[in-house]
Amino acid sequence: MGVVLILTPVVIGSWPVVTAAVAGAAAAMGLMVSESVKDMAEQKQSDVEQTVEVELSDSEVLAQSMTTGQEILLTKGNIELRVKRDERGRCSVCAKGIGHSEVELKKIAEEFTQKMTQCFIYDKVVRELKSKNFQIVNEEASEDETIRIHVRRWMD
Amino acid sequence: MAQHDVEITISKTGEVRAHIKGAKGKSCLAYSKWLTELVGKVKDQQLTSEHYEPEIKARINLEQNLGIDE
Repeated sequence: MGVVLILTPVVIGSWPVVTAAVAGAAAAMGLMVSESVKDMAEQKQSDVEQTVEVELSDSEVLAQSMTTGQEILLTKGNIELRVKRDERGRCSVCAKGIGHSEVELKKIAEEFTQKMTQCFIYDKVVRELKSKNFQIVNEEASEDETIRIHVRRWMD
Repeated sequence: MAQHDVEITISKTGEVRAHIKGAKGKSCLAYSKWLTELVGKVKDQQLTSEHYEPEIKARINLEQNLGIDE
């Protein structure tokens, strides 16, 4: 009873906040955060390497907190994901990998953007609930990767 | 004292479904507004029968507590 609300997420945050969501998503998907972008650039490139870029349409990385060209490099096997802020201020994920088709890389990039969005929204919601003194009654993650949070508060 | 419950479901794509229980009248909408500002855009909103029940004089306090403007 009350209100049932369905909300489409919008990812707006500073680079450190986005970075935290990237780290969360990377851990969930078994991706390694690589410290150095240069190391990867020095690797031998193959002529069968594919590249796919996926953009988070409803996203905005606050420019003042990020220097130009800043990005996060994630790796898993021979797949490389680069998370960066594009010229329009949106967050984009570029997937690259030797021996993987464009379809496979697009799927991986899309899975990553979804997981990153979920991490971003989860962090934001939980932080806000705590700041508003909600009591967490129950929290669970389902097999389908859905997160359920039940909170309660008492009003005068 | 009124008990307000919020059940939040975050799907694997980041879409949020929130079921607000216990808040009557316009208090329900204060929660809706707060969650929308927090998460993003409203895709769908359905008022249930509780919304139409008599409101306790708590809405203004609630809005102040959630930090949203009228």
